[in-house]
Amino acid sequence: MFSPELKKGSTEMLVLSLLESRARHGYEIGKLIEMRSGGRLRFALPTLYPTLLRLENRGWIKGRWVEKAGQRERCFYRLTSSGRRVLREQRKIWKAYVAAVNEVMG
Amino acid sequence: MRDWQAFVRARLRLPGLPPEREARIVRELAAQLEDCCRDALARGAADADADAHAAGQISDWEQMTRDVYVAERRNLRPRADRLADRIDGLAETRTGGLRMIANVLRDSRYAIRQLAHTPGFTLVAILTIALGIGATTAIFSVVNGVLLRPLPYPEPDRLVRVHEIVPQYGRFSVAPATFLDWQQQNTVFEHMAAYSSGSATFTGREGPERVSRAAVSADLFDLLNVQPALGRTFNREEDAPGRNTVMVLSHGMWQRRFGADSQVLGRSVTLNGQPFTIVGVMPADFYFPSRSAEFWTPIALDPAKATRGGHFLGVIARVKTDVPLAQAGAEIRTISERLAQEYPANSANESAEIVPLLEQVVGTIRPALLTLFGAVAVVVLIACANVANLLLVRASVREKEIAIRAAMGAGRRRLTLQMLAESLVLALTGGALGLIVAYLAIPLIRTLSAGSIPRVDDITIDAPVLAFVAGVSVLTGIIFGLAPAWQASRATIGSVLKEGGRSSSSSGGRWLRSSLLVGEVALSIVLLVGAALLLRSFSRLMDVNPGFDADRVLAFQVALPPASYPEEHHRVAFFENLLTKLEALPQVSAAGMTQALPLRSDYVLSFTIQGRPPAAPGEGPSANHRSVSPGYFKTLGIPLVRGRVFNERDSEEMPMVAIVDQAFADRHFAGADPIGGGIDIGNGTDGFYEIVGVVGNVHHGGLDADPTPSMYVPFRQDVFSSMSVAARTEGDPAQLASAARQVVREIDSRLPTFQMAPLGEIVSESVAQRRFSMLLLGVFALLALFLASVGLYGVVAYAVSQRTQEIGLRMAIGAQAGDVLRLILGGGMKLALIGVAIGTAGALALSQLVASMLYGVTPFDPVSYAMTAVALLAVAALACYLPARRAMRIDPILALRQE
Repeated sequence: MFSPELKKGSTEMLVLSLLESRARHGYEIGKLIEMRSGGRLRFALPTLYPTLLRLENRGWIKGRWVEKAGQRERCFYRLTSSGRRVLREQRKIWKAYVAAVNEVMG
Repeated sequence: MRDWQAFVRARLRLPGLPPEREARIVRELAAQLEDCCRDALARGAADADADAHAAGQISDWEQMTRDVYVAERRNLRPRADRLADRIDGLAETRTGGLRMIANVLRDSRYAIRQLAHTPGFTLVAILTIALGIGATTAIFSVVNGVLLRPLPYPEPDRLVRVHEIVPQYGRFSVAPATFLDWQQQNTVFEHMAAYSSGSATFTGREGPERVSRAAVSADLFDLLNVQPALGRTFNREEDAPGRNTVMVLSHGMWQRRFGADSQVLGRSVTLNGQPFTIVGVMPADFYFPSRSAEFWTPIALDPAKATRGGHFLGVIARVKTDVPLAQAGAEIRTISERLAQEYPANSANESAEIVPLLEQVVGTIRPALLTLFGAVAVVVLIACANVANLLLVRASVREKEIAIRAAMGAGRRRLTLQMLAESLVLALTGGALGLIVAYLAIPLIRTLSAGSIPRVDDITIDAPVLAFVAGVSVLTGIIFGLAPAWQASRATIGSVLKEGGRSSSSSGGRWLRSSLLVGEVALSIVLLVGAALLLRSFSRLMDVNPGFDADRVLAFQVALPPASYPEEHHRVAFFENLLTKLEALPQVSAAGMTQALPLRSDYVLSFTIQGRPPAAPGEGPSANHRSVSPGYFKTLGIPLVRGRVFNERDSEEMPMVAIVDQAFADRHFAGADPIGGGIDIGNGTDGFYEIVGVVGNVHHGGLDADPTPSMYVPFRQDVFSSMSVAARTEGDPAQLASAARQVVREIDSRLPTFQMAPLGEIVSESVAQRRFSMLLLGVFALLALFLASVGLYGVVAYAVSQRTQEIGLRMAIGAQAGDVLRLILGGGMKLALIGVAIGTAGALALSQLVASMLYGVTPFDPVSYAMTAVALLAVAALACYLPARRAMRIDPILALRQE
């Protein structure tokens, strides 16, 4: 529904925002994006996973292997403090951008 | 459920990442795929469908791998990157030397990255350089080991060989009395020593064996200034007749035959049937006069019996430190000329000269080695031109990148340095590979040159060779980097970006590329002509009839020790017995012997013809002298021209007879019949021999030397203690070896046979040095041809790729495939023709350099030139045809659409 170019700019921001409240594992992040957008946003594994690696390498998120009761071991990502800062910044920019676009398009 | 980790691992390969990082990525992706699969199952999908659904999540694994790599860039070679960041920081902040180094490092890193982007180009360039530098390094290591490295004695510059100059022969061995006079009268030498190389029968635990030795003056070791590793050398008292029963061992002989026994001193061994005492062992790296000498004994010249007629000594001397070599030479000449006047009977008109020892050892091979070195230098130049051309093509493709870098503020200097850095990275990598090429080539060269090059064991890769490789690599890098660097420095933003993004090839660039190519072709022609001349010389030489038939003849030497064969009749009896037994062997059809085999050793005597006035001493005629058995001529297939050959009745008691060859008859009996004439061989030693026959000429001195007059006498009338035996067989002569040894053992078990080889090998050995030069020059010429054709191919292929649109247009308006072929082929062949013309002119000018290595062809041999030009043009046509064929297949529509 949305073109890949349009999605590309926001993947990182979406991942960061989903990790704001608590740590999640990769598959869960993909599912959550799909659910919360009512199925309108869907990121395939080949897009999402390299994004996670990239964010981790930048030091914005941190993955850790956790075994929860009754579940298999999974890699859970949490937001780091610099990630939190970046998210705050991006959210602000995004809002300003959307407002500006709306303003122009009426 | 399937093993998802194995599934991922089979598809996602991440070399270059730290293993733990790779494992983590595989594990996590597997976990997500498994989640996906379980999810599908939970939604009620069948097992197979769920599995397929999960497996289909990642359809393009190659893309996935690339994306992971991009995300993981930071984890790739993290240390190298961190270092690179530091270097960049230095380049930005510092000034002066540190900044320059940082810049060089940054340029090199950038260069490596750029080169890694175009692996095909990089590989071809590096291989080209490696071949060029490898060949040069291999030859340089020969030049270094043979010509440049000093001899292994202290202060080798002051060591000289001293020769007598005899009017008929030039440089000559020294007579004992002359040597003793020199030693006494000179004031310019610290030491002077005489030596005589030979061999002796050494009887050890494994039976008798022929071992090379040198008889030397006691002074020799002081002269060379080398101390023994064990024990002592000779003293003057031992260097006297009757007391000279001591010997000094070489390190090699000490190890091989005495098991490196430190108790060897004082031990008695048997040499030529006489007891000798071992008094010392020399160090491992000592050799004199050649590596073959295994031990040394005192020469023990007897002043009372020393003669001036027999010349057999080698003489070396150490010039005093304050005496110039020229002065030493002048004094020894003065002494000799005085002696010549004092003893006119034996020494009239004789003189002397000195030659630096190194010069003496390597003098004859020097021109050949320097020619080869020149040839590989040409190969390197061609390689440079080739790589320069490749770089130019690449630079014109990269014009845009360079222009943008210029626009972003990179100065002309930085751009030039950047391009040079790329060339240097290529050159140094190629140089390192070249070193490996040389390392592999050296054993090959050693095998190939065995017997034709002195000091061949000194050929190794040592510090000077390494320095040479480094120097040549940097130099070649600069040479082939200059053209592209110059082009890059001229790049202007406007001109490039104006061309609409299509890489342009300025007319200047095209001109440069064409000239380089023409130069390459011309240089190849020079080498090819040289190789063709040598090849034709060699084939002419192999066509020379040596005057005897070397096929299926086995030759070996037997030496009779004077202790057990004191009288002539003992020796005659032994050799008669040996020949009879050899001829009785079923596979032997004829056997004969001589004291000196053709092409292998030399034996010349002066003579006087009966009825002619005696010549002044030293000015009379001389000829090869051979003492032979009756069967010698039949065994070697030397034809009888007139008269008779020797027979069993030509013995000591009978009148002395001789046979001469055609050259002798022509020279000394022009027009008259020599048969019945008399010759006084050795002038007054034996009386007159009556000539009874004339035989065909034999090339005694070498296939390339005209046959010189020879005279033969029956061995029964002039027997030697050491004779070379030849036996003609029905089959392979090598198969006769053990039977021949057995025959000798049966007669006298204490006698070794030595220098056993098929006669054919002796002929082949005599041309070994020529074969060596020819083969190497041939290899270099082919290498040059190959490089030039690759260069031509590259230039033409690039031209085709640049002219795709033009060709498409031509075809669209009616040009046929044949027209396109003519267009492309014509362009390339024009360059090749210009190169051939220039190269031929250059070869004509340079061919004098190889004149001394030619035989039977002139340096201007038209066949060699024509052959070379045709070969090069044929290869050039092929190199142009390949891209031309591609041009013929261009689809005009596709070509025109391409922008």
